[in-house]
Amino acid sequence: MIVTLWGTRGSLPTPGPETARYGGNTSCVGVQGREGTVLVLDAGTGIRRLAASLDGAARRIDILLTHLHMDHIQGLGFFGPLYRAGLEVHIWGPASSKLTLQERLARYLSPPLFPVCLRELPSEITLHEVACDDFDIGEFRVSSALVCHPGPTVGYRIAEAGGSVLTYLPDHEPALGTGSFPSLPRAWVSGGNLAADADLLIHDSQYDAHQYRHHVGWGHSSLMQSLDFAKLSEVKHFVPFHHDPGHTDVDLDRLFGEAIAEAKPAYEVTPGREGATFNI
Amino acid sequence: MAGSKSIQIILARQLASCVAAPILLVDTEGTLVYYNESAEEIFNRRFDETGEMGADEWTSLIAARDDDRNPVAADQRPALRAIAQRQPVWQTIWTRRADGEWRHLHVTAFPLIGERDTLFGAMCIFWEF
Repeated sequence: MIVTLWGTRGSLPTPGPETARYGGNTSCVGVQGREGTVLVLDAGTGIRRLAASLDGAARRIDILLTHLHMDHIQGLGFFGPLYRAGLEVHIWGPASSKLTLQERLARYLSPPLFPVCLRELPSEITLHEVACDDFDIGEFRVSSALVCHPGPTVGYRIAEAGGSVLTYLPDHEPALGTGSFPSLPRAWVSGGNLAADADLLIHDSQYDAHQYRHHVGWGHSSLMQSLDFAKLSEVKHFVPFHHDPGHTDVDLDRLFGEAIAEAKPAYEVTPGREGATFNI
Repeated sequence: MAGSKSIQIILARQLASCVAAPILLVDTEGTLVYYNESAEEIFNRRFDETGEMGADEWTSLIAARDDDRNPVAADQRPALRAIAQRQPVWQTIWTRRADGEWRHLHVTAFPLIGERDTLFGAMCIFWEF
């Protein structure tokens, strides 16, 4: 599969010259399978450029939402294929205990926040509620599970038949409330089994250690915690993701350099940059 | 993803590990998957020593008696009733400490029910009279 990062920023779009290298668009990752299946992981503002990269030949697109915080759905209304009549678009994401996925999405895709309602879009949209499930999309086997982040939030493990595994956990705080992280058994760590032995792990690394101390419970990880999580999960390749809006390219270069020097990971680490592509 | 704990159970353990009241955590099969430091006094054993225990094993370690001092059957223990009935359960029991002294306890157990009415287990909290 080919994995492309279209938005790597967390929380808020952060355009500007000081974020040009790592990127300012919010979470969006494109996945293309060997047989042409197209998956879109989250619909942050990066989804607009992803749409422009599609050749128009796809008859079906699947959008997998991890959760419905604004930075993960803000681009949805600007995803061009939604306005293409006849295109099959499947949107997967978590419901809440009281509201369906449709009701939750409609809170954003309706006035006054957005001029077009979900039901008015000309594409053929099907909504799928996910929590802890396994399901097939084309050549992919997708596993989802609720993970530690405020509100209903899932992570995805995407396995290509007979091939590689991608795990996507963009908003995740596995260390919350457990002083013994990361020494707990993997089965007791949020997201641990989703990420186990993954060929590529894309994971939240929003904070530096100082920031994390002031944001415990906000649902994000420090870079060192995410490196620990990658080690615990025994992944082959780790992509730190969901960069804090306050971190410039210069800040991120320094943070990644220091953390990697300290952690000395046995696996490959490639800091998430907008436009980066991984062939796994 | 065999063997993985649900986020409901993981978060329940995290909560239990940082509160003072004795707490047991059981899964849908009645297996005791965790008990906190305060609950170690009920078992007279540390969780690190016992690890997870099947329902038969852990219920046999707690010499539970009702208010008339009759033994409480395993399937009548609050945690297992909460799972079977999918409802909160409250009852009082007597248990014996390592030093032989009897303790009178309130026990509250409630099922952990998640999305789509899925049962994940039960949390059981003990309160001393």
